[in-house]
Amino acid sequence: MRWLFASLLLALLGAVQAISYTGGRLLVVLEEQSEREKYTAFFGDLESRGFHLTVESPKSESLSLFKHGARAYDHLLLLPAKSKGLGPALTANLLLDFMRSEGNILLALSSDHATPTAVQSLLLEVDIQIPSDKGALVVDHFNYDEKSAADKHDVLLLPFPQGLKTGVKNYFAGEGVIAVPKAVGQVLGNDSPLLAPVLRAPSTAYSYNPKDEADIVEEPFAVGGQLNLVSSLQAHNSARLTVLGSAEILQNAWFAEKATIKGKAVTTANRDFAAKVSEWTFKETGVLKVGKLVHYPDEGVSKKLNSSLAIPENNPKIYRIKSDVNFQVEVSEYSLTHLTPYKPAFGDHVQLEFSMLSPFQRLNLAPISQTANSTIFGVSFKTPDQHGIFNFRINYQRPFLTNVDEKRQVTVRHFAHDEWPRSWQISGAWVWIGGIWVTVAGWVAFVALWLWSKPAEGSLKKTQ
Amino acid sequence: MPPKQRGPSTVPSQTSTPAKSSTSAPAKSSKSTSSTDAQDIVRQVWNNYVKKTPQRVKLLDAFLGFLVVVAALQFFYCLIVGNFPFNAFLAGFSATVGQFVLTASLRIQTNPENKKEFESISHERAFADFVFGSLLLHFFCVNFIN
Repeated sequence: MRWLFASLLLALLGAVQAISYTGGRLLVVLEEQSEREKYTAFFGDLESRGFHLTVESPKSESLSLFKHGARAYDHLLLLPAKSKGLGPALTANLLLDFMRSEGNILLALSSDHATPTAVQSLLLEVDIQIPSDKGALVVDHFNYDEKSAADKHDVLLLPFPQGLKTGVKNYFAGEGVIAVPKAVGQVLGNDSPLLAPVLRAPSTAYSYNPKDEADIVEEPFAVGGQLNLVSSLQAHNSARLTVLGSAEILQNAWFAEKATIKGKAVTTANRDFAAKVSEWTFKETGVLKVGKLVHYPDEGVSKKLNSSLAIPENNPKIYRIKSDVNFQVEVSEYSLTHLTPYKPAFGDHVQLEFSMLSPFQRLNLAPISQTANSTIFGVSFKTPDQHGIFNFRINYQRPFLTNVDEKRQVTVRHFAHDEWPRSWQISGAWVWIGGIWVTVAGWVAFVALWLWSKPAEGSLKKTQ
Repeated sequence: MPPKQRGPSTVPSQTSTPAKSSTSAPAKSSKSTSSTDAQDIVRQVWNNYVKKTPQRVKLLDAFLGFLVVVAALQFFYCLIVGNFPFNAFLAGFSATVGQFVLTASLRIQTNPENKKEFESISHERAFADFVFGSLLLHFFCVNFIN
């Protein structure tokens, strides 16, 4: 038994050391091994973060995303290839299947190479549009690197992205400038709530194909803030796809390069940005985990949620209508190496729904306390005046955070016969209580008189 | 002893019936003579009632009147103030109504005028039924008002 425990402990330790929340097997698809030299710093960073890299060529016979029907890798890094096709192992369908089984994809595009058809159809499938002609790139005449792109203005120097909007956490913040050389701009479809831009082009940027001989760009693919240089998709199953407009962001050459913007010398912070993007894509950040969900009737004593997994939730199965209920839930966020207490962004709340078909209550949860690696959120409320089968439901779906949908089903019953207030506790009923007892008293008096009157009548009859 | 008691008791009842018919005749005649004076009629009816009704039936009628008053009070209170604990109103009101029904049936069964129809039911039996039914009614009402 002891060795079994020891091996279990070792396995657990191994799981803890794996840096991503979902696993460390990373497949890098790279056509030419010589290209590998360009990415050594990035690969080194990934390996130091605990990923196990497998570099394969799309032409390789042994390349397969699945093995025995299950994912063979947890994450996929697709680097641009010269050839037009990616081969039978990396069709758009297989890539989607990979995401369906919760694999994450970091996809790097390049304007130097034509985008493979598999990647094109994959992007079409998720409603991300890229320019159809080879060589189209994003140009900005105001935010370019004067050192390396003095004439072409196709190396953009941008600050780190601000948050998407208030109430959304920013996982890509940092200090410095990001160099985005020769990027393929993307336009995100309006209809998909799963898409979120990571790095937007500045308002002065536009997409343009230098091969067009025309002096004026008449119908650019997209301009300004419409263009995304880095965009992301998080599927319903929380599988992540990040599209990097420029693979060169990840290359050694731009990781800490001297650049000049508006006459000012700066050093690019691409290494930091590449780390941030890959951390998010490979589920090292922005992963939520719901621990225990505890609810109990409010009897004046607040119970403390015990987050130990050894103790079961032990939630009651049944509640009464119009009774006070306390609810507590434990939420953790995975941050690089360990679970930390989750703190929603300013203006955002984790909400509890008490629902039967539709929510009867939707309440903001307030953080009650914190453990070493989780926040305990709680709220107390009154069950509605409606009996039936209800759910305590946490449905928390926010950009850049994995989706949370947790339910606990309970029965809500109506008042039991002996749970109504007694008649004398309701002052309005006193008159009718009086009515009953006056009737009863009158009846007793009547019965007494009747019994008493009988001999009198008998004697009366006798005398007659 | 019982046969002796029964003998005399049957005799006055037989004698009382012709007496009743004889008294009803002048009542009719008095009605025809002074039909204009309503007060007179009422007084006549009241006098007749007082004179001819057996004491037990009078007692029954008094109790019935009392029940009507109590029921009316409860009903008007409900109309004016509202029926908030509705079960309480139902219990209180139906106690009086139920008691009225039970008492009325006791009156029917024990009224000497209905003797022919209720030959098989003795007064003691009717009263026992009444007591049993009333107790049951009170139990239900108290239970219902909670």
